[in-house]
Amino acid sequence: MKSRMQNSSLKQEFLKNWIKGLQLHANFNKNTTILERRKAIKLSADIAIASTRNSTTRWSRALIADASRDESNKTLIEKISGRDVPHKASFGLIRCSKKILKRSRVAREVRAKKAVSPSVVASLIAKKLVKSRTRVLKRLVPGGEDMDEISLIKETIDYIVSLRVQVDVMGRMAKAADRLIRSTSL
Amino acid sequence: MSGRRSRQPSSSNTRITDEQIIELVSKLHQLLPEIRNSTRRSNKASANKVLEETCNYIRNLNKEVDDLSQRLSQLLSTIEVNSPEAAIIRSLI
Repeated sequence: MKSRMQNSSLKQEFLKNWIKGLQLHANFNKNTTILERRKAIKLSADIAIASTRNSTTRWSRALIADASRDESNKTLIEKISGRDVPHKASFGLIRCSKKILKRSRVAREVRAKKAVSPSVVASLIAKKLVKSRTRVLKRLVPGGEDMDEISLIKETIDYIVSLRVQVDVMGRMAKAADRLIRSTSL
Repeated sequence: MSGRRSRQPSSSNTRITDEQIIELVSKLHQLLPEIRNSTRRSNKASANKVLEETCNYIRNLNKEVDDLSQRLSQLLSTIEVNSPEAAIIRSLI
C-alpha cells in the first residue's frame, strides 16, 4: 500500500500535469462549447494521471498510446508528458479459438453423463464466472486485453490507485472553484 | 496444491505460484470499498466477488471522473485558467 507521503506527492504531480494541460486550453473563449471544454478537461486529466507513471505501467502506456492516435491530441500529450509518443499498433490477437475449445470441453464433460456431483458443477460455474469477469476487467483496464493473470491484477491495483488520485484532486478542484465563485458573486 | 504450477521450469523466469495470486488478490481486495461478506469461504467464491467488486469500482471511478469533468467545465468557464482566481484555486489544493 502506498504510504501517505507517496500518495500526496502523486496528487501534486497529477495536479501539476493536469494544469499544464488545462493551460493549453487557456483560451476557453466564448466560442468553445461546454462539451468541448469537458472533453479537454477529461483528456488533460487522463493524460496527466497516466504521465505520473512515467511509462512504468502498461495501462498508462496504453492510455497515452490510445490518445495519441488522434492527431489533435499530440500537442497536449507532448506538453504534459514531455515526450513524443509514437503510436503503437495494437496486436489484436484472435483468442476465440481457445475460447471455443474450452467451452466444448466443459460441454463434453457434462454431456458424457458422468456422475457430475453438485460440488463439481458449482466449481465449474464458479470457474466460468471468474473467467468471464476477468474478461470484463481486461476491457476496463487500458491495455488489459494482452495481459496475463498476474500482470492484470498488478496493473488493476495501480490503475485503481491512480483513478482514486484523479477523482480526489478533481473533486477538490471542483469544490474550490465552487467556493470561489460563490464568494466572488456575493 | 500450491507447488503444482511451479513445477514447470520452461516458460517464464518468474514462477507463478498460487500464493502470489492470493496475495495480489488480497491487496486488490483491500482497495475495494467494503463489500458484504459472503458466508462461503472457498477461494473461487471470494476471487469471484473481488473481481465483480473491482469491475464495479472501476466503472464507478470512471463515472465520477466524467461527472467531475462535466461539473468543472461549467465552473471553469467563469474562470480564466491563467487568471489570479486560478492561482487562488491552485493554492487551496
